[in-house]
This record gives sequence, structure tokens and C-alpha cells, in this order.
Amino acid sequence: MATGHYISGIGHGALLAWALIGGLFSRVPEDKMEVAEVSIISSEEFAALSAPQPAPDVVPDVPTPPQPVIEDTPEPPVVEAPPEVPTPPVEETPPPVDVAPDVVEAPPPLPDPVEQPPEVVEPPVDNTPVVLAPPATTSSPRPAPRVAPTPVEAPPPDTAVAEEVQEVAAPDTETSTPSEVEEATAPEEATDAIVTEADEPPSSAPTRSSRPAVRPQRPTPSVETAAATTDSTRDAIAEALAEAQQDTAAAQPTAPAGPPMTGGEKDAFLVDVRRCWNVGALSTAALQTKVVVRFEMAQTGKPNVGSIRMTGFEGGSEASAKQAYEAARRAIIRCGATGYKLPIEKYEQWKIINITFNPSNRSLR
Amino acid sequence: MILSRITAFLLAAAVVLMSLPMAALAELNLELDDPNIEPMPFAVPTFVAENAEASAFANQIARVVAEDLTGTGLFREISKDAYISTVTNFNSPVQYADWKAINAQALIVGAVNMNGNNVTVKFRLFDVFSGAALGDGLQFGGTTTSWRRMAHKVADAAYSRITGEGAYFDSRVVFVSETGPKNERKKRLAIMDYDGANVQFLTDSRSLVLAPRFSPTGDRVLYTSYESGFPKIYVLDVASVGRRALADQPGTMSFAPRFSPNGQTVVYSLSSGGNTDIYRMDIGSGAPVRLTSEPSIETAPSFSPDGKQIVFESDRSGNQQLYIMSANGGEARRISFGTGRYGTPVWSPRGDLVAFTKQSGGRFHIGVMRVDGSDEQLLTSSFLDEGPSWSPNGRVIMFMRESAGAGGEVGLYSIDISGRNLRRVTTDGGASDPAWSPLLK
Repeated sequence: MATGHYISGIGHGALLAWALIGGLFSRVPEDKMEVAEVSIISSEEFAALSAPQPAPDVVPDVPTPPQPVIEDTPEPPVVEAPPEVPTPPVEETPPPVDVAPDVVEAPPPLPDPVEQPPEVVEPPVDNTPVVLAPPATTSSPRPAPRVAPTPVEAPPPDTAVAEEVQEVAAPDTETSTPSEVEEATAPEEATDAIVTEADEPPSSAPTRSSRPAVRPQRPTPSVETAAATTDSTRDAIAEALAEAQQDTAAAQPTAPAGPPMTGGEKDAFLVDVRRCWNVGALSTAALQTKVVVRFEMAQTGKPNVGSIRMTGFEGGSEASAKQAYEAARRAIIRCGATGYKLPIEKYEQWKIINITFNPSNRSLR
Repeated sequence: MILSRITAFLLAAAVVLMSLPMAALAELNLELDDPNIEPMPFAVPTFVAENAEASAFANQIARVVAEDLTGTGLFREISKDAYISTVTNFNSPVQYADWKAINAQALIVGAVNMNGNNVTVKFRLFDVFSGAALGDGLQFGGTTTSWRRMAHKVADAAYSRITGEGAYFDSRVVFVSETGPKNERKKRLAIMDYDGANVQFLTDSRSLVLAPRFSPTGDRVLYTSYESGFPKIYVLDVASVGRRALADQPGTMSFAPRFSPNGQTVVYSLSSGGNTDIYRMDIGSGAPVRLTSEPSIETAPSFSPDGKQIVFESDRSGNQQLYIMSANGGEARRISFGTGRYGTPVWSPRGDLVAFTKQSGGRFHIGVMRVDGSDEQLLTSSFLDEGPSWSPNGRVIMFMRESAGAGGEVGLYSIDISGRNLRRVTTDGGASDPAWSPLLK
């Protein structure tokens, strides 16, 4: 027990001793002093040293250094025109030989695409710069540090300020001698009146920041809920609900906007489609096949023909479903050629339509 | 703490799930039924004659194609007077807008080339509102005498591509040609194109002939003849018109023959000792096998397409009804239960239906039912309709109809199995007992 006290006492004593006397043996840095030698002169000598010196004599005949003799520029060699390359004779395409096919049933060559869809012209990229509103002319000019007889507008930001206005030198296209590029300069900015700080209009900037709104009171949970949940549970539920509501809000753009379509509007649309739905040329198997057809609509009420597709079928084979789908597709296209009469304000409701075509109730009658 | 997290998770999941139906509502879901059943309008411009000699056939072939399609009742030809575009070159681009404007939903463009006695016909089919060809173009070659067959083949291809069903225009019908008054009818076998063209007689009118039936390949015909004074079954080669009698048993009468699907076997009725039963005979060996042994009358057998079953008529219940048994005989099950009498059943080439003749309420009907006896549909009704025969694709039934009275006419009619498009088949004079051939090769 005492040994520990001894060791502790020795250690602390050593530390204190080092702190007190440890700095005694370090050298104190000495301040450096610069020394200059001076000499004393008389007033005459000073006057003689400070008097202006006479200009040097001009030497009249200074031999001009001989200019280098420039020899006549040799004429460029005449470049002979390359010999004409003989144009290869155009091979005449032999006329198609009308050979009778050996095979009795053979597909004749398909025609060229009959109706080429017009090339989709991409709308031009709008590179038009955004036109910013010009600065307000009614506002007071920024007080310029210089007053001149005629006010000078502020030069462009990168223009150097000079006493004489220098226009940008246009490159001389006739001479081949390169000339130095002269940068444009502008006179120093000036105004016709001194605008003192007292004359400045009051600034519209806020003088102080507004305090944040008071946080709304959290709704008080019902007694039953409060009794059934702890504080931590309540917080966790609130967080989860908030996240879920955010997700729901993010999904809102896909949900239809506006009031739902009425039964009458749906029926009127179906009547329009049914008008062109003709299954008279379908096979008996196709007449028993339900097909689900999905397509997108333009706001004009016209179906997007390229979007029409069969998403399912029931009650028949794939072949019969294909026939039933073709009849349904023709119906959608034919009666939609001039646009279906659908409420435009509910476009989001009928932007994508799924119709189940069920012809089975008319077969074998 | 953990419990609170789990509760929070469950609540959040519930909220997210509640939001899903909102997204689903973005698509409008509708159901449409009760469609229109009308003929599909189509256009067949006169085929392009690629040389002067072909011009004689160009219009004729286009006409046969148009008549084939309109004859089905599924198509309606648009009058040429309504055409906006003309087709003068087989390879010219199709002016879809012009054909849309006259509501042509299908367009058939063809060309004919003639080289000596050989005729080449090619065509393309277009779905006007889709703005695309329906399948590849096709080309057929033949002689000048077969130009109608080439036209039928063009129509077959167009029909199959649009309806999705098998074709039947390039087929033939064997039938009994009838001339003279009812009490002194002269009957002989004849064969014709399905549409009544190109009639050829296969037998003379010296003896009574009945119930001709094609072989599965269409090259032979079974029929019953009273040449010997008693009904007897013969096999006739269509190409050579040569014939021979099937082996028979002395003192019996055989009739109502029909080929099996493989063409090697014949089923028929044999009447002996006042009883009629169904027999099967291998054509090569001539050995008969008895399939029924009932004291009642069993007749009019018809094989199922797979050859495993036979449908026939029997009055074993006291009334004439339809039954199905194994192709090897054995116990039969009744499939008809309606009022009236059922007879002459014929199994559909598709295997799903049985056509029959029904006598009920003093009238005759041609009808169809499923092979289990359900969904009975009566397609016709008249003084006398009888002897249905299926088209090769199982879509159309041809039968004979006789009108009442001493001067009543007998003729052939066809009807779609939907009960629509009842048409008389044009024949010179009377005709009965039609039998449709398979599709020609």
C-alpha cells in the first residue's frame, strides 16, 4: 500500500520538477540587429550629387545594318492535271428473265413496302436561349465612382478601361501579314450626377428574417389508442404512415384524375366499338374465344394503332384467339378512325383501355 | 420495441396495399359481347393479265374467287363501281386509303400469265385496315383446263387466312343425278365441283343407284346399286370410272357403305332374314365382321375421324335414335334423346359434331349435336331434308331437299353450321344424296 504512494509521489514530484526547471537549460533566441556603415559628406558634395546630368551627344551616322538579300521566290512547279481516269462502263442490268417457276406453289416476291410510314421528324431541340427580362430602366443607376459630362454606361464586364475608346480591330482579310490583336477598350464608367448614400432609395430587401411558423399541434390520440400503444409505438407508426403516404403520393400520377366515367359514358363507348365488331368471318372456334385487348388512346379519342395488343384469351386455341383478336382489332381501328366520343376532361380515365371481347353468346345460333 | 416496429410495418404495408387499387384504376376495363355477324366486305379487282393471252382468264379467275368467298356467306364483295383505285400492276403499292374509303376490309390482288397451254396465277391478300399483307403471296400453275381449280385454290388460301379455318373450295361432290317425274325417276351417279360446275356422270341410268360416298383420298367412290335387282355395294374408281362389287353374302342385301378414315375398311349395313345389322369389311380381303347383333334395325354407320368409333342409327329403343359404339362393335350408347326420329348421322371431320336428319312434327330437319348428344341445333326445316354431308373443313353441310307434291323438285342445298347462308347448289336437273370429297391435292 505504501509502496504505491511512494511511487506516485516520486512520479508526481519528477513531473513538477521537470515543469519548473526543465526550461532553464534551453537557449533564449537573441534578436538579430542589422548594422550599416555610414559616411559623412559636405553640403557641396551633396549638391553636386543631386544636380541633373547633361544629355549625351547624338552620333549622326550610325551605319544601318545591311538588310538580308531576299532572293526571287521560285515559281511553283506547274502541277500537271492528273490523267483522266477512264470511267468504267456502266453495266447494263440484264432484263429480268421471266422464267416460269418449277414449283407449282411458290410465293411470288413480296412487293416493296406499300405504305412507308412517314419518317418521324424529331421536334427541333429548343436551343433558343432564354430571354431574360431586361433590367428595369426605372430603377436608379448604380452610383458610379466617376462623374463625366455625358454619362457612360457600364462597359461589358471583360472590357478593359482606357482613356480612349478602342474598337475591336477586324482582321484584315486582304493582307497576309498577321497583325496584333487589339483588345477592345471602353471609357471608364461615369454618371451625370453624384448619387450619395442619402439619395439612395430604400432597399426592398428584408431588414430582418421572419420567425418560423409555430409547429402545429400533434393530434391527440384517442383514449383507446393511447391506452393501447406506448409512446415509442406511436412514433414508429407515425413514421411508417408518413412514409407510406409519401409512397402513395408518389404513385398518384398514375391514378386517374377527375371524376370516374359514368356508366352511360362507358356504354356509349362500347356501342361505338360494337358497331364495327364483326365476327361474321370468324371460325366457329374463334367464335367461342374470349380475347382481352389492350390499347392506348390519344386525347383526340383515336386509338393508338401501334399499341393495340392481345393480353389474354380464354376458351380457344392460340390460332382461334388470333382470329378473334384480329376481328377485335379491326373494330377498334375502324370505328376509332374519326375518334371515339369520350369526355376529354376524364382523359386520364380512358387513356388506357382494356376490352374483353366475348363473342361466344352469338355462336351456333 | 420490436413489437412496435412490427406493428408499424404491418400498418405501412396495409396503407401501401390500399393505394394499389388506385393505380389499377388508371386503366379502363370493359367487356363487350353481342357482336355483329355480318359478311366481311372485300374487294377483288380483275386480275392483272401479264400478257395478251392471259386476259381471257384474268377476269374469269377473279370472278370465281369472288363467288367462292361470297358463297360462304361470310364475305360480301364490294361492287367494282365503288372502286377508287385500279390495279394495273401486280407489284404496285396498295393504296390503302382508297380501299379504306370504300370500307373494303380485305383486298385480293392477282395476276395471270399464260404460256402456251400453261396458266400461272399468283395473288396477294391484304388486310386493308391493318395496312399489311396477310401472309405471303402464292402462285399456282396448271393448264388451261384447270383454271377453275386454280381460282378455287386462291379463294381457299384467302378464306383460310381470314377465317382461320380450313378451306373447302377446291373440292368435289359426288351425288345422284335425278331426272324424270317422281314415279319414274332415273338416277345415276355424277360428280361435280363443289359449286356445281364441271358435272360428269359416272354411271348410266339403267339401274337405281344410292348413297355414294368418297374415299378419304377422293379417288374412289362407294355406292349402292340395284343393278342385280337387290341392293349391292360397289367401289368405283373416279379417274377410270371402273367399278367392282364388294364381296357379299348370298341372300343378303348390303347398303349404306362408308369408308374408314384410312380407306382400308368399309362399314355398311347388311340385311339378312329380316334383320339389319352393321358390318365391317376389309376391302383387300373381303372378310366381313359383324359389329351389332340386335333384333332391331341398325344402319347408316359413320366413322369418327380417328377411326375408333362409329355413330349409327337404330330403333332398338322403339324409336329411331342415334348411338355411338366402338369401331370394333360392342355396347353402344345413345346420344339423341329429343322428340322425333333421328337418322343418317355423319361424324364431322373436326370430330366435335354429328350431323343428322330429324323427323319431327311432320317436317324434316338437318341438325347438328355434339358427340355427347348435347347442344342439338336444328339448322333447316322443310317438307323433306335428308342426307347431310360435311365439307372438308367441317364448316358447311350439304344435303338434299325435296319439295312436296307429285311434281316436287329435288335438289342440293348447303348451309353453314351456324344455321346461316342456306343456298341451293346449282345443278342441271334434280340431285340427291350428296357426298363431299376431301380437299383435292
